[in-house]
Amino acid sequence: MGMPNAGSKTFQATPPDKGSFPLDHDGECKQSMKVFLECLRKNNNNGRKCRVESKAYLQCRMEKQLMAKEDWAKLGYAQTPDTAPTAASAPQQQQQPSRTASSQ
Amino acid sequence: MAKAATAQPQSMARGVAAGVLRATSARTVTTYSAQSQRTARAVMAHTSTSRHTPRTLQWLSQSWSRRLYSTQYQQPQFSRGDNKATAIYATAWIIMILGFSYAAVPLYRAFCQAWRATGYGGTVNKHDNDKKKVEDMVPVEDRQITVRFNADTSATMPWSFKPQQKAVTVVPGETALAFFTASNPTDEAITGISTYNVVPFEAGQYFNKIQCFCFEEQRLNPNEEVDMPVFFYIDPEFAEDPNLMRINDITLSYTFFKSTSTVSPIVPPEQRQLQQEQASTA
Repeated sequence: MGMPNAGSKTFQATPPDKGSFPLDHDGECKQSMKVFLECLRKNNNNGRKCRVESKAYLQCRMEKQLMAKEDWAKLGYAQTPDTAPTAASAPQQQQQPSRTASSQ
Repeated sequence: MAKAATAQPQSMARGVAAGVLRATSARTVTTYSAQSQRTARAVMAHTSTSRHTPRTLQWLSQSWSRRLYSTQYQQPQFSRGDNKATAIYATAWIIMILGFSYAAVPLYRAFCQAWRATGYGGTVNKHDNDKKKVEDMVPVEDRQITVRFNADTSATMPWSFKPQQKAVTVVPGETALAFFTASNPTDEAITGISTYNVVPFEAGQYFNKIQCFCFEEQRLNPNEEVDMPVFFYIDPEFAEDPNLMRINDITLSYTFFKSTSTVSPIVPPEQRQLQQEQASTA
């Protein structure tokens, strides 16, 4: 009746949509994670600039059976390319080796 | 009924009034309205002392007679047939109400199925349309939100649990990835289970996790370190909530507890399938 916070809304933790990530005990995708974290550090923790790297990490997880395979559209990566745009730099610069080769 | 003894208006009115009162007291079938009864009593009182002039009495008697004969009505008779009918109606009503309260349970269930299937209401189960939502949602470019990360362990949990990045800038409607690291410094395998919290409270309803490491038991071998990703997005409707107009900072806080129960939590179907696949291939 006069209890403080009686009936006040409390935070309801909801389970994730696709459940829990299986633990990466063997560190199979650690390299992808390091690439992603490095990208975040470089871009001042701007997650929007590192979508390619995060997509690569999830790709690694799917390949190593650490995540259920899913369409990229269903994960919100429909617009994200598989590799970082290499033509952004000036045409005279040498072509960077594509990232797909390194992540496979 | 009225005994008009003389032609005098006074006594005629008095006679009628007496008749009205007699009929009322005898409770005959024909009774008079309350107004008639009141007027009859007034007439009896007035005409007992003749202090009025004949002219006044004439006018008085005319108005009295109008009122005395007004609204004669039939008194309702309560017969046994009426009582029986009422009893039947009452019983039927009670049975109907009881029946409705029993039928409400399956009716509610059926209604909610239709509700969910046709997508009427939004609050019955939000997560049904989430897969579709992630596909269709459009990032709200002009709203940059900083999601900070906080990691805690309970007092009895010896793990070292830290976020790998202090914060991440995202926009509503775009999926994002973040990492936590947990390490088990002890010499025994420990199973932990985590839960999370989102601050501010109003932002919590827009924070959706696609996949993370919470709610399920996670087992760490002795002296093992493991990366735990969180794949989430903020609902685009965040930008339209007036309560959250000035909020651009959200804190996602995870806490790891030592798992003591042997009951495993509910596993979503995709995860269960993956686990079965892993179990069969392992």
